[in-house]
Amino acid sequence: MAGVPFVFGNATTSIPLSNLDADFNTPVTIGNTTVGLGNTVTTLGNVTLNNVTINSGLLSTATIPTANGTVMISGNMPAFKAYLNVNQSLTTTTFTKVTLNTKVFDTNNNFDSTTNYRFTPTVAGYYKISGNISIAASTGATRVLVLIYKNGSAVAQCDGYPLAGGGGASTSVDIQMNGSTDYLELYAYVTATIPILYGLNESLCFMSGSMTRTS
Amino acid sequence: MTLPEKIMALYPSLTQQDFSTVITLQNDSDGKGDYIAKWEHPTLARPTQEQLDAVQ
Repeated sequence: MAGVPFVFGNATTSIPLSNLDADFNTPVTIGNTTVGLGNTVTTLGNVTLNNVTINSGLLSTATIPTANGTVMISGNMPAFKAYLNVNQSLTTTTFTKVTLNTKVFDTNNNFDSTTNYRFTPTVAGYYKISGNISIAASTGATRVLVLIYKNGSAVAQCDGYPLAGGGGASTSVDIQMNGSTDYLELYAYVTATIPILYGLNESLCFMSGSMTRTS
Repeated sequence: MTLPEKIMALYPSLTQQDFSTVITLQNDSDGKGDYIAKWEHPTLARPTQEQLDAVQ
């Protein structure tokens, strides 16, 4: 029977190896999709794959996508952006958590914008995080510093530009999170007579981030 | 008076730079206000709450 096409119906079909030729080059039709199974190249048409493992054995290379294709891997990879939507008064020379009280997006509901103003991802992995602050024009600041805290300690910080008319600072970090207890917060440090963080829209004082790969 | 103002009143020799290096004042925006998170000044002792409360 080697070399004879097989047509599958809706039921699960088992093909005895004896019915296929040595290189699995027998043309097979699954529904409307024609599949060529060879030792070197396998092509599939429009196929929905559920719970598929690619090359779990000794083989370790899979190239996705092809030159003109795209791949979207997003189902459980958290991404968020939250910002300060009202002005926040600070005490000069005091590291103060920014009360990021408004979400732009939070795909996995991992950002607390009401109580602790922190991102606690529930998927373990590596994340790229950005933070930005802007201070109001009337503060007369001489120093403005933005920091990203992980579990209460700074993991990224940057001195910005304290100007007579305001100023701001931004920073970013790539960081590993354990997916359970690790959390990130945005802090600001301003030296000024009247330090005020400018809260108006998502472009001024914000923290955002997304997962780049799993652990 | 703010916490840094009270500390400066107790220790006028401190500079603004001290508050981002050897001294850390912090506010976690949890309603508990400003507090001394770190005091590692090489010569000046960490002020007690009584000292801070006494500053007017």
